Amino acid sequence: MSTRNPLLWFVAALVLCFVLAPIVVVIVASFTQASVPEFPPSQWSLRWYAHALSQPVFRAAAWNSAVLAAIATLINIPIALMAAFALVRGRFPGREAIQTVLLAPLIVPAVVTGIAILLAFSAAGWRDAMSRLLLAHVVITLPYMVRTIMASLARLDPVAEEAAMTLGASPLRCFLHVTLPLVMPGLIAGAVFAFIVSFDNVSVSLFLTSARTSTLPIAVLGYVEYNIDPSIAALSTLLIGASLIAALLVERVVGLRRALGS
Amino acid sequence: MNPTRAAALLLLAPALLVIAIGLAAPLAWLLRFSLMLSETGIPVSDAVTPANYTRLLGDAFHMRVFAKTLGLSLLVTLFAMLLGYPLAHALWRISARWRGVLTIVVLSPLLVSIVVSSYGWLVILGTNGLVNRALLGLGLIQAPLKLLYTEGAIVLGLTHIVLPFMALSILAALERIDPRFAEAAAVLGAGRWSVLRHVTLPLALPGLIAGTTLAFSIAMSAYVTPAVLGPSGPNFIATTIYNEFVTLFDWGLGAAMAICLLVLGLGLVFAFLRLVYRVGGVAAAGRA
Repeated sequence: MSTRNPLLWFVAALVLCFVLAPIVVVIVASFTQASVPEFPPSQWSLRWYAHALSQPVFRAAAWNSAVLAAIATLINIPIALMAAFALVRGRFPGREAIQTVLLAPLIVPAVVTGIAILLAFSAAGWRDAMSRLLLAHVVITLPYMVRTIMASLARLDPVAEEAAMTLGASPLRCFLHVTLPLVMPGLIAGAVFAFIVSFDNVSVSLFLTSARTSTLPIAVLGYVEYNIDPSIAALSTLLIGASLIAALLVERVVGLRRALGS
Repeated sequence: MNPTRAAALLLLAPALLVIAIGLAAPLAWLLRFSLMLSETGIPVSDAVTPANYTRLLGDAFHMRVFAKTLGLSLLVTLFAMLLGYPLAHALWRISARWRGVLTIVVLSPLLVSIVVSSYGWLVILGTNGLVNRALLGLGLIQAPLKLLYTEGAIVLGLTHIVLPFMALSILAALERIDPRFAEAAAVLGAGRWSVLRHVTLPLALPGLIAGTTLAFSIAMSAYVTPAVLGPSGPNFIATTIYNEFVTLFDWGLGAAMAICLLVLGLGLVFAFLRLVYRVGGVAAAGRA
């Protein structure tokens, strides 16, 4: 077996450096004292953290992003749970077509989704930025939840449910006390992913934010256009930390790759 | 506990409603809007007309944007393939102890916001960035190179973004390979490169094709990377669409462009499905 193929391992190590480069550079550069990002910093300080966290623009945008991601995820939990259950357990014509339709937000380019929602909702007179963003975020995060919950349901051994039913549990009771606890890891992984996808989204939000209602990625993108001072590095480092915690959580509970559906 | 047909449809209703209101209806309206004449975003007549499309297809500037986007995306896919295979191979062969850590590292471009990694490349490629300072320090160049705000920077940033998708697709195919094939080849006297070339790589082909499709379609519709790292002005399909909508207020042309991007993307997925069907059939036949 080509287990011992030193050249392949060497190339893999180089590629890993490439993968980690921008992330490591951002983290290290965030601790600089200078007014431009430096790698490595000539003098270390936390001043850019203080600067980033004191900017009202970022605080408001971060709050909007957190609220959007949390509400979109919460709305999606029952919707995705019901849909995944019907798709995995139901036997009816058109099942595969419906599954494709529910996963469609993954196939349609995000920019196209964003523009379509902007055009359609504006034409329909729906102009409130926050509620438009919320619906858009529910749409783009739904497939991630449906997919992870479907994967857990498909792996579930039906014996436990059959036992509960034989012992006289009603279908609802059986679902709540047997099925739901067993798919909980998939549900949590899906929810974490949905939260991250919503929180990080740029291409859809781009068209739906307004001058007064922005999200964190859009605010950062607007800021980077004119300044590259290290406050963005500080903010980015905080976001990387949050993502890492979420990734470790998912890896612990179900495994990252399984959660990503590959 | 299996739902009846009526129950299943009832359970699916909320999800289908979300897609209908939030995706299907808006896309239908986008298509309709692209076939209408409008001024600053307001339709001026209900008549169906291909005017926006003829304007788009007849315009050299916009056609160049399409050609450039597809060309650079192809380059990105090629790089992702070359870099993705060694990563997938490492993930496949690494001991269980390190697999978790390596998985998180390989997936990190997906887990970290694109805005964050783009900013990282700004710091690395800028005039006073890491690369220029290193080259100046080594005396290899006299003046800083212009690395940022170039097409090369777009390719670099996008390769970084699509790499995890490519690596995971290839890994999924590698994991389906029966290890006895490589053992048999080795027993019959094949060297490790020969095993790689004649056994492992051909069997990884379905994964490579899946990864290629994913990588190309993600690269083709990217917005953030070209917007932050690319040359100023409309430099990619998505940034040009944004420009039509937000700066030029030419919503008709922007809508036509968006529909073209959608059709290109969907066409790619269908072509891929057909190809996988064929290659999958060949691989299955080879296994039998």
